[in-house]
Amino acid sequence: MLRVLLAAIPIVALTFAVPLVNRVEPRAFGMPLLLWWTVAWVLVTPAFLWTIGRLERRW
Amino acid sequence: MSGAAVALAIVAVVVFGTIAFALNGVRRIKMDPSQYIVGGRSFGTLFLWVLLAGEIYTTFTFLGIAGLSYSQGAPAFYVMAYGGCAYVIGYFLAPAVWRVAKEKNLLTGPDFFETRYNSRALGVSVALLQFVMVVPYVALQLSGLQILLRIAGYGAYDATAAVSIAFLVLALFVFTAGLRGTAWASVVKDVFVLGAVIFAGVAIPIRFFGSPSAMLNRVLQVHPQMLVLPAGSAFHGTVWYVSTVLLSAIGFYMGPHSWSAVYSARSGDTLRRNAMLLPLYQGFLALMIFAGMSAVLIHPGLKGTAVDQSFLLVVQHYYPSWVLGLIAGAGALAALVPASALLLAGASVITKNVAGDAFGVATDDASRTLLTRVLVIVVALLALGVWLTAQKTVVELLLLYYNGVTQFMPGTVAAFLWKRATAWAVGAGIAVGLAVAIPLAASNVTPWGINAGFLALIANVAVMMTVSLGTRPRTVDA
Repeated sequence: MLRVLLAAIPIVALTFAVPLVNRVEPRAFGMPLLLWWTVAWVLVTPAFLWTIGRLERRW
Repeated sequence: MSGAAVALAIVAVVVFGTIAFALNGVRRIKMDPSQYIVGGRSFGTLFLWVLLAGEIYTTFTFLGIAGLSYSQGAPAFYVMAYGGCAYVIGYFLAPAVWRVAKEKNLLTGPDFFETRYNSRALGVSVALLQFVMVVPYVALQLSGLQILLRIAGYGAYDATAAVSIAFLVLALFVFTAGLRGTAWASVVKDVFVLGAVIFAGVAIPIRFFGSPSAMLNRVLQVHPQMLVLPAGSAFHGTVWYVSTVLLSAIGFYMGPHSWSAVYSARSGDTLRRNAMLLPLYQGFLALMIFAGMSAVLIHPGLKGTAVDQSFLLVVQHYYPSWVLGLIAGAGALAALVPASALLLAGASVITKNVAGDAFGVATDDASRTLLTRVLVIVVALLALGVWLTAQKTVVELLLLYYNGVTQFMPGTVAAFLWKRATAWAVGAGIAVGLAVAIPLAASNVTPWGINAGFLALIANVAVMMTVSLGTRPRTVDA
């Protein structure tokens, strides 16, 4: 169950949460909110997958 | 030498140098069908990372992101988003598919359907469908290559002959080197593409605006509407965005050439580590958004399909010809490496699933390798012929690829999650999915703002479930 939740979080953040962050402000490094939100979630997805792998005792 | 000669010479050195490097990588490999088609199921995490990145990210990924950023802005962010989602799905799906392939000694994507649903007819149908998808998708890569060579030649050459020659050399390379050769070529391709992406997304904004963030400030002043999505069901609005991200993520591992890449892994954990690491590559492509947005400020006014050339035209106008040559060389590899994997996929499904399974031809190892090799050349000539004679048709046929690959997903997932699913149901689901998607896509209809392919996928699942409940399963345990 925890694994499913961990897998769902980045997917929901990158899809269904988009209407909530479809704004320019607050910006980070000049990037509008929607862009840095998306880039940040893509870059932290490996951390979620790594955690799932740990829970499955794969590494 | 003129600028065009310098740039084109660099492209030629990059392309043929890569092929020579890759041939060297397979020098001592003895080819049987498993080695030739799926690399002997021996690729480790890094080699597989490079191969998958090599075959997934085509010229139209990297030029297309810049082009969509140039013409519309925020809708281009979807390319970032689906990468993250796709690898989460892949973490679970790819190792499961790999395990079946390893146990049953599968070679092609259609083999998976044939084995799990115990239906030769389904295997052959999927094989023919994948073959029909491969040809226009290879032809698309040739169009990408032609655009690059025209720009590298400063518009002085039509480049049709150069594209044809480069492509035939590539076909001979695949004939010799198989999937392992494609993986070695991907090593060079990824180095060049990453270099080109950093140049495009960092060096160009620094030179013209001082920094990428200064460039974005400028976009905010000049085109503020480009940095957010239109609301709700508007064209390329949030509804379209969410449905497109989901659709692209779901179809991500379903390309005809992705199956053999998954099979080529050494173990399931190799694929899991791979899924964990690939989002980093995808995140990197955000730089192409910077490139496209820089181009809209530096070189405005491009319309239609010309937007895909936006950042290359900036390089052509403002940088020395050797820089243009290196960037175009990276782009040429981004067209040719995926094309090589596609040729192999198209040839192997015909050899194994149509000639072998349906007609009982070439079923021993030696003749199967030979037939696949010959068919690589045949598929290449066919794709070249289609590209030379019917470029308009290529665009229409591509709808079959883009809407078709995702339709294989319900049958793939049901193979693991729903024992009740039957061959007839999976086949009917694919047929209905295509019948819904293609007319809608061809007429650019997006009901309620939703991507038509997503609706087709829902129709596919509904039909598959209904028909499954009305037919008797002939499954073996997957």
